[in-house]
Amino acid sequence: MFQTLWRVRQAAWCTVIVSVQCLCIAAAEQITFELDIEPILTSRGCNSGACHGKSGGQNGFALSLLGFDPESDFQSIVSAARGRRIAIAAPQTSLLLLKSSAAIPHGGGKKIDSQSDDFQMLSRWIEQGVPRSSPTDRKLDRISISPQAKSLLAGESVELIVTAHYNDSTSRVVTSRCAYQSNEPVIVSVTHDGHLKAGNLPGEATIMARYMGMIGTWSTAIARPGAVDVAAYAVLPRLTPLDDPVWQKLSSMNLIPSAVASESTLLRRAHLDLIGRLPTADEARSFLVDSNPEKFERLVESLLERSEYSDFWANKWADLLRPNPYRVGIKATLSLDSFLRNAFAQNLPYDEFVRQLVTATGSTWRNGAATIFRDRRSPDEIVTMISQLFLGVRLECAKCHQHPFEVYGQKDFYSLAAFFGRVGYKGAGLSPPISGGEETIVVAATGEVRHPLTNEVLAPKPLFGTLSNIPLDQDPRRSLVAWMTSHDNAFFHRAAVNRIWAELFGVGVVDPVDDLRATNPPSNPALLDTLAQELKNNGCDQKKLLSTILRSTVWKLSSIPNATNSSDHRNYSRHYRQRLRAEVLADAIDDVTQVPTSYAGLSPESRAVQLWTHRTGSAFLDVFGRPDPNQDPPCQRDPDATVVQALHLMNSVDIVAKISSDTSRAARLAAGNQSLENILDELYLVCYSRFPTSDERQLLLKEFEQQGRSRRHCIEDILWSLINTPEFVYKD
Amino acid sequence: MHSTPWWSRPMSRRDGLRLGVGGLAGGSFLELCRLVQSAGASENSAHSVPRKTPSNCILIWMDGGPSHFETFDPKPEAPSEIRGEFSPISTNVPGISISEHLPQLAKIADKYAILRSVCHNQGNHGAGNHYMMTGAPPRIPVGCGAFVSFHPSMGAVSSHERFAPHGLPGYFALAGMTRSGGPHFLGAKYAPFVVTDDPNGANFRVRDLAIPSGIDESRFQMRRDLRGRIDRMPRIDDPAAADPVKVIDGYYEQGYKLVTTPQAQKAFDIASETASMRDAYGRTSFGQQALLARRLVESGVPFVTINNGGWDDHSAIFDSLKTRLPAWDQTLAALVSDLDARGLLETTMVLALGEFGRTPKISTLPGAAKGGRDHWSSSMSIFFAGGGTPGGQVVGSTDRLGHSAFDRVLSPENFVSTVYTKLGIDPGMHFITPAGRPTFLVSDPTPIKELMG
Repeated sequence: MFQTLWRVRQAAWCTVIVSVQCLCIAAAEQITFELDIEPILTSRGCNSGACHGKSGGQNGFALSLLGFDPESDFQSIVSAARGRRIAIAAPQTSLLLLKSSAAIPHGGGKKIDSQSDDFQMLSRWIEQGVPRSSPTDRKLDRISISPQAKSLLAGESVELIVTAHYNDSTSRVVTSRCAYQSNEPVIVSVTHDGHLKAGNLPGEATIMARYMGMIGTWSTAIARPGAVDVAAYAVLPRLTPLDDPVWQKLSSMNLIPSAVASESTLLRRAHLDLIGRLPTADEARSFLVDSNPEKFERLVESLLERSEYSDFWANKWADLLRPNPYRVGIKATLSLDSFLRNAFAQNLPYDEFVRQLVTATGSTWRNGAATIFRDRRSPDEIVTMISQLFLGVRLECAKCHQHPFEVYGQKDFYSLAAFFGRVGYKGAGLSPPISGGEETIVVAATGEVRHPLTNEVLAPKPLFGTLSNIPLDQDPRRSLVAWMTSHDNAFFHRAAVNRIWAELFGVGVVDPVDDLRATNPPSNPALLDTLAQELKNNGCDQKKLLSTILRSTVWKLSSIPNATNSSDHRNYSRHYRQRLRAEVLADAIDDVTQVPTSYAGLSPESRAVQLWTHRTGSAFLDVFGRPDPNQDPPCQRDPDATVVQALHLMNSVDIVAKISSDTSRAARLAAGNQSLENILDELYLVCYSRFPTSDERQLLLKEFEQQGRSRRHCIEDILWSLINTPEFVYKD
Repeated sequence: MHSTPWWSRPMSRRDGLRLGVGGLAGGSFLELCRLVQSAGASENSAHSVPRKTPSNCILIWMDGGPSHFETFDPKPEAPSEIRGEFSPISTNVPGISISEHLPQLAKIADKYAILRSVCHNQGNHGAGNHYMMTGAPPRIPVGCGAFVSFHPSMGAVSSHERFAPHGLPGYFALAGMTRSGGPHFLGAKYAPFVVTDDPNGANFRVRDLAIPSGIDESRFQMRRDLRGRIDRMPRIDDPAAADPVKVIDGYYEQGYKLVTTPQAQKAFDIASETASMRDAYGRTSFGQQALLARRLVESGVPFVTINNGGWDDHSAIFDSLKTRLPAWDQTLAALVSDLDARGLLETTMVLALGEFGRTPKISTLPGAAKGGRDHWSSSMSIFFAGGGTPGGQVVGSTDRLGHSAFDRVLSPENFVSTVYTKLGIDPGMHFITPAGRPTFLVSDPTPIKELMG
């Protein structure tokens, strides 16, 4: 059943409708508020979040956001403000018409032209005495879009036709009454009346049409002009099941993948992707001189067994799950951290990892998984996190109103939240800023979740699919996890693999990563499906999945574009460069200078990637964008470069001290009797994971010949320079 | 890990791409970067902003929440348990009285306005700070210990919308970032440059903004040249590739410019001030931070926050303020007078405020020997000078016991909108967050007309 749903959603991405019926409304036909007027308000943006749809409305006139509550909207228009918005006796003097057509001053400007069909419709509705729909009137079933979705040529235009279908088998064209949005306006733009125009860049885009809470999508791709012979793709290596779907997609886009990167680039990339640590000079040297044809596969397997693996991946997950210690207390924060490190150290299967988190009980001091419930204390708080992280479904919008890009509404939201209705608390609750007490998460005997508007008690219900009855003596969360982790669930494994893929490639197949919805489709559905299938087949083993990815040709591609693919940002025809994350870069500087940083509250040899709280002071980590616990939620990590980062690498007294310390690598190399060539080799190997080219070697040997510059100064200057280059700061 | 929140990655590579294609075919990459930075995700609303010379801003954050009774809103008529120990004094503007412990400010009341009627409903530090620094109430209840950010702060927005010359960062936070002083969804590029070093210290230098000590200028130059020769990572020239490495190149250029441009370095060179000028500001950390703030603004930095702590006087409030106010008074008066003397006050706002005011009734906490006042957001006072603000006026009032804003009740939104308007930023603009959610800069973009001049 889940599978079916997924297919239905996929089908929705390229919705097809054959019959285009234009049922113009005859003058005699009755116009009703729900069926005819509300859509106008939505399509003209009257009830958008920036206008009357915002909480409290605009200048005293409030509408429900995007028209999800026709009852209150009708009252607002017809009764509120002493009924002055509507004048049934003299319709043309109705404020609704005068304002919207800007006949009298309107803060939002002219929204409806007085010559337009919309204006006529509003006028006639008022003339008819502002009728409403009755329960027996037809109801909107779905919308469909024609023509059939297809790929476009650069600059090509398409007129979309959107049809609303009703439960009495009638339908009508509503093209001009839909709201449209392109997820990539540069690739394909869309006007308010459904006119699409492809830009000049290759890429893919999805156009969303929204009509009265119903969503239709039209996905398209614009191939690069200039066909590429399919034979060019036939010869590409298919080392794992992941390569073929990528080549297929590239073929459809006329993009040729970049060449495979050099082995030193791959050596560095593999270390950074799997364990977040640069190879040492010896490790790099022995790999580079190794002639074994299987050395790369061996490298991957050995990296996956390194102890740094668990710290690195736990550090990534801590971004997503770690609460603000000011809020939950440091002990609960520490125990969550331990839970994560243990999980990755044991290579806990991913579904089991999720099960332990979602169904956590016990003391927040002993079971770190329980800390997420200490932090998010009500069903509606925890459910947004669980659905976003583990299903890739963002429900925050649906908490308060119909999701503007999604099918979910408040009832779906609170029904899912109802799985957490029986989470109970014993012991010391929150008492910020210390919150030092121990709290125990239990399954309470009772507990319910109500719809905030109707006050109806909602039974736990998954977002889609069905679930057999939950036994009364059982924690409802167990049923939820069983539903989530089922191989039939179309979201769970896709969200998981997409996140891992995005970590390695810098951009998810679905991007942003945990936002899987029809209006944000994967750039390569076949690739996402193949990855998800890999995860299911290997028993949710992240290490096995990583091993498969790293053995694929697509992972090994160079970042350097060829004549066809420089504008590709979504199809993995080249590797996308990423700045090293704060902790990895801090550890890398410690490694290349051989001067460790001492972090407060951690044992002496600890590395940044082992920090368990962002409260540990570090100017470096702050500058390089580690998550700020002051943010809500405290998990935003900024991957961007800033001028402050450049200044810190250039001028920071800490980094300068590491380079020039008497215990630094520079001092040791200067004091030793190694040849200058060997010194340069070592510096390049530790910083760049490669030997210097002969050009570089010659250039730098000259540095040592300069008068009045000591050997040590010279080494320090080279080390400073290496650290300050993008080849060090970026994963290439 | 890859971002969860919807505001993550405010400026993606694709945004760069959008701009590159939309408006700039053939332009240089640096131009592109600059435009990407300036355009951001903002959209202007229909609101019109007066096109005067935009003002800069020095915001003195009185962390903890200063008592309005003991500063700018004395209540001599109130009973003693409310009135407190201090008396009011007259200022050089007839009819305006302030605390007796602000004698220097009393001499220049014609240079500033006092806002006595801003109020809100957030009675703890985290929430109050958030409301006053961003103009947006926190979205969820926030505890006192919390440092939260749900919305970009004024300083971050100002660095998003405005530029500083000579490679200077556009937003400085002296002594530390205030709790909610961050950029939120605007992204790290718009975070404040935090100066924790004490400008009152003997060897004051600003972290990272100057050539590090121990490296002389010629060696720095040598390193810079060497780096240029070592740096061989191929750049991807096609702007459509939006190579992140090329962005770094721009930042290194800006960084070199900053450390080698005398005008930029001058901004931090507080030692070049005369001894009498330094004395006038007061030889305290706060005094010298104010002086540094003036130098930064003078060099073109649009927004400087001074995080001035210690105003949370739950107990022994009179002892504590008797000590603190005179020095604080001296510094603030010196700053306003100095800006005025340099002709900079007209284009420089000087604001002093905290999270909220304090309780009318003096209370003694269990265990405390002497009384104090607790958090009170129904009334507070804000010091507002410069940037074209008509001085010598009091806007609004509290009731006769200082319980709550009474005449001309104003909101934090009104206050923040006033600051934005003077900065030349439209408070009615809205941002489209990366997830497509429209967010107003300020939900009520009405500035306080009395302050607009």
